[in-house]
Amino acid sequence: MPLTLERPDGVDAAIAALLSAPDAVPIAGGTDLLLDLEAGRVRSEHLVSLAGLPWARVERTGEGWSIGSTAPLRRVERSEGLAADHPGFVEAVRSVGSAALRHRATLGGNLGRASPASDLLPILLALDADVTLVGPAGPRRAKLDELLRGSRDLALGRGELIEGVALPPRAPSAYAWQRVRPANDISQVGVAIARPPGADRWAVALGGVLPRPCRVPAAEEALTAPTPSEEEVRRAARIASTAARFASDRRATAEYRRRLVDVLLRRALARASGGARP
Amino acid sequence: MTRPDAAGKLRGAVTFGTDLERPGMLWGALVPSPAAAGRLRAVDLGPARRTPGVVAAIGAEELRQLLPSALGRERPLFPVEEVAYRGQPVAAVAASTRAAARAAARAARVTIEERRPVADVEDRYPEWPGPGAASDPGVIAHVRAGHGNVASAFARATLVHSETYRTSGVCQVALEPHACVAEVSDGVWRVTSSTQTPFGVRDDTAEILGLPAETIVVDGTWVGGGFGGKGAAFLEPYALALARASGRPVELALSYREEFRLGRSTLAAVIRLDTAVIDRTIVGRRVRLLLDTGSSLPGRDFATGYSIGFLVGPYRCGAVEVEGFGVRTNKPPFGPHRAPFAPQCVFALESHLDGLARRLGVDPLEFRLAHVWREGDETFLGQKVGPFGGERALRAAAERARAWRPSVAEGHGLGAALGFWSTGTGAGGEVRLRLDGRALRLEQVEREIGSGSVIAGLTAVAARATGLPARLVRLVASDTATAPVDSGVFGSRTVAALGRAIVQANEKLLATLARRAGGGPVRLEEGADGIDVVGPAGRRPVAELLTPEERDGGGLVAEGRHYGNAPPIDPSRVEDGTFYPYTDFTASVDLAEVEVDPETGSVRVVRAAAFQDVGAVISEPLVRAQVEGGFVMGLGEALTEETLWSPDATLLNPSLLDYRIPTLLDVPPLEITLLEGAPGAGPFGAKGVGEPPILAVPAAVANAVADATGRRVRDLPLTPERVSRALIRP
Ligand SMILES: Cc1cc2nc3c(=O)[nH]c(=O)nc-3n(C[C@H](O)[C@H](O)[C@H](O)COP(=O)(O)OP(=O)(O)OC[C@H]3O[C@@H](n4cnc5c(N)ncnc54)[C@H](O)[C@@H]3O)c2cc1C
Repeated sequence: MPLTLERPDGVDAAIAALLSAPDAVPIAGGTDLLLDLEAGRVRSEHLVSLAGLPWARVERTGEGWSIGSTAPLRRVERSEGLAADHPGFVEAVRSVGSAALRHRATLGGNLGRASPASDLLPILLALDADVTLVGPAGPRRAKLDELLRGSRDLALGRGELIEGVALPPRAPSAYAWQRVRPANDISQVGVAIARPPGADRWAVALGGVLPRPCRVPAAEEALTAPTPSEEEVRRAARIASTAARFASDRRATAEYRRRLVDVLLRRALARASGGARP
Repeated sequence: MTRPDAAGKLRGAVTFGTDLERPGMLWGALVPSPAAAGRLRAVDLGPARRTPGVVAAIGAEELRQLLPSALGRERPLFPVEEVAYRGQPVAAVAASTRAAARAAARAARVTIEERRPVADVEDRYPEWPGPGAASDPGVIAHVRAGHGNVASAFARATLVHSETYRTSGVCQVALEPHACVAEVSDGVWRVTSSTQTPFGVRDDTAEILGLPAETIVVDGTWVGGGFGGKGAAFLEPYALALARASGRPVELALSYREEFRLGRSTLAAVIRLDTAVIDRTIVGRRVRLLLDTGSSLPGRDFATGYSIGFLVGPYRCGAVEVEGFGVRTNKPPFGPHRAPFAPQCVFALESHLDGLARRLGVDPLEFRLAHVWREGDETFLGQKVGPFGGERALRAAAERARAWRPSVAEGHGLGAALGFWSTGTGAGGEVRLRLDGRALRLEQVEREIGSGSVIAGLTAVAARATGLPARLVRLVASDTATAPVDSGVFGSRTVAALGRAIVQANEKLLATLARRAGGGPVRLEEGADGIDVVGPAGRRPVAELLTPEERDGGGLVAEGRHYGNAPPIDPSRVEDGTFYPYTDFTASVDLAEVEVDPETGSVRVVRAAAFQDVGAVISEPLVRAQVEGGFVMGLGEALTEETLWSPDATLLNPSLLDYRIPTLLDVPPLEITLLEGAPGAGPFGAKGVGEPPILAVPAAVANAVADATGRRVRDLPLTPERVSRALIRP
């Protein structure tokens, strides 16, 4: 199967290239896409590289942080000041694959793949992040939670691209994950928590659940105190580990995943709130 | 040490199997069986033939025309009636590009009347096989042996320790997939292959294709890692048949997914161990083994009879009874993997002994020291134990454990284990030395597979035997038509067996030179102008001692051979099946400290020490590299590596993402101690060190986990989920 690779150097040209062939797909780092192509999960002969687009920024803006979709994760995690403002987000970024992988892999690609096991989606959900998009009809902004339709299913229009992600100025947060092998493996479960400015409770989001990473509002209700008590944490953990749909697959049984949610939520809260660790 | 192959490998200049090219070459691809079991109804190659670029497509039907000699073989190239495992090649195609060949293979239509496959040994035998099971069609090997009165030992016991262990399948994961290129012309069937066993491939291919062995010529090339996976014929007969059908050279190489799906790897097992103790002394052992041998054919299993001895171990244990079944399942045939199935056995036995010692309130290392073989002891099959470094290795580990213990943190644990091995010099081989005035040529068939045993190891032996500097030794590898015969680079035998052959050839060479120099003993030395012979009659250039033919031709030639002789086993102790005697006795002890996460079950090895009985060191950097590499592979078997099969015998994790070998981040600091002094079967008393370093790693890690948590995990590998399950077990 012959593959063509276009490398447009502007946003309009990239959108035009995506519209020019029915099977055209954007490629950022390619760490997912090339494997999907090889395995036949994605069929395309027209790749449109995003490397020429001006979206590789990681910067503080008036509103908070703006992270471009094509910034390699390695650059994101090394951005000055980001870890202090968003410790959980940087924990999540650092957990992805390995250093070598993160030199190529991007935030946009992680969102674009929308894997149920993604390590970045839970923390972005917990931070209630906005995704900025641009397409044939111009730019728009949407909540990640609304865009995320299902497993590997992001509600993007035809020719539409993820431009970046907007985070609040700062938020106490943490991300805890579990894998069989620490590096270059897929998380069995990921638990993200965050307390964005003005929020009246801790946000809790889970990865490694079906059909997509999700928030668990019922657990959040137990976590209104800035430093939840042991009892509150235990209750939230119990609720979270029964709330979501857990899969039994080659990476873990549902039972183990449930147990992990309990453990990881307690750990994440202990880290982020400096509070009790029952 | 700079390895002679390092520069070329770093520059990407060496030719691995997939780099082979021939003018006019086609690419081959295999058509996989879509079912794991069932009756083959039809193979329609029409759509494959119509795929653009396809030159040949062959199945069992076409083979009947093309190569009638291949019919009716015990191991048919393509199945005729029944398919044995999912992915089994039922046909093959050759096309102008690799992509075209793969597209054609996908286009072929294979119809199978599916049957429910046997995916697991416990599918076949949920209970232990009853009397008479040895002749079940599902049993491809049965071994039974023992000595002493086991029943009475167990009746007299003050304690009986009984456990069941389960181990998973593991793959070799050589970086380079299998690959070869075949050419057929003028009655010569020639294949160049990335193989550990050129002569083995020749003989296997001859058998599969029904051709005389002399018409087949196998040449090696650089091998990008073998670990047991590249012995015996695999792709070669298919590539040759395609070359014959197309009239063109054909390259056949697996993708990495195929490597997992079709490769011959170690499969799962169930192991039952009962040990009878009186006070603190072992007086009896019963061993039961159910080994998944996949779709191996009867008589093609060596693992059951070879490995079962590792469940008795290098210990005195009174009366012994062992019984093992090689069980047929619908998976690819069982294949060897660095110390085939031995680390799994050592895991079971050494976990068992560790737990038993704790039950008895004895220090586990002291308990082993009280029972470990001493030279002159007898194996349970009545073989005399030769020089064995077990006691020394255990003592060294015990001393290190004492030194580490005070600094072992809360939540951490220390564990040790002993494995034993025998250098595979029973598989023999030959070499040719050729001396002219300037250099010594060492001619043989094997290619370097990555360990350095051929390119650096054999050269080091030749240099040490002759006294010449290594740079005057030229290693020459050639094909099976021209090189002396050899069994292959496996079984930790290369330096040992071929090394002994080199030493013998050198003795012959020197004897001839001594005669010609007017008396011996003589030795070789680098002289002012080439190589000199030095003896009682003084120093003379080699060139002066050569006949005119030798001077004009290829120099003075001497051949050496070594076919290892194992001390015999006592046949009266064998009831059924084939057991294999040991040629020497090698010990390997590992000590590991782990940290266990009490809630998630994650295990991290924080430091480790390996104590390797080596007989004699021939090249220290090569030996240390084997110990390091064996340790890291063992770490994978201990913690993360396993093949996962669905109930319909589909491999669920045929990728490097889900079949998890260790990454560098998982590897702890490793202290290596090489123990000389208990000589083995190799030259200068060396023992093979390719396999032993992997043996005890999973067991040492498992024992450390038990030390840290007080819980024993009896399933390998110790994934976080398994450990966590053991931790919450009531
Ligand atoms: C060995 C290995 C380990 C991994 N480990 C982890 C891990 O621990 N955690 C984890 O979360 N992930 C992991 N991954 C998955 C993956 O690498 C990451 O999710 C990565 O961030 C993907 O980024 P990319 O730039 O390579 O995406 P690509 O492969 O380029 O693209 C992925 C998908 O997103 C689309 N896309 C890319 N950019 C955009 C855009 N700007 N707008 C719209 N669509 C876009 C593409 O069309 C494609 O469908 C791993 C992958 C590998 C191979």
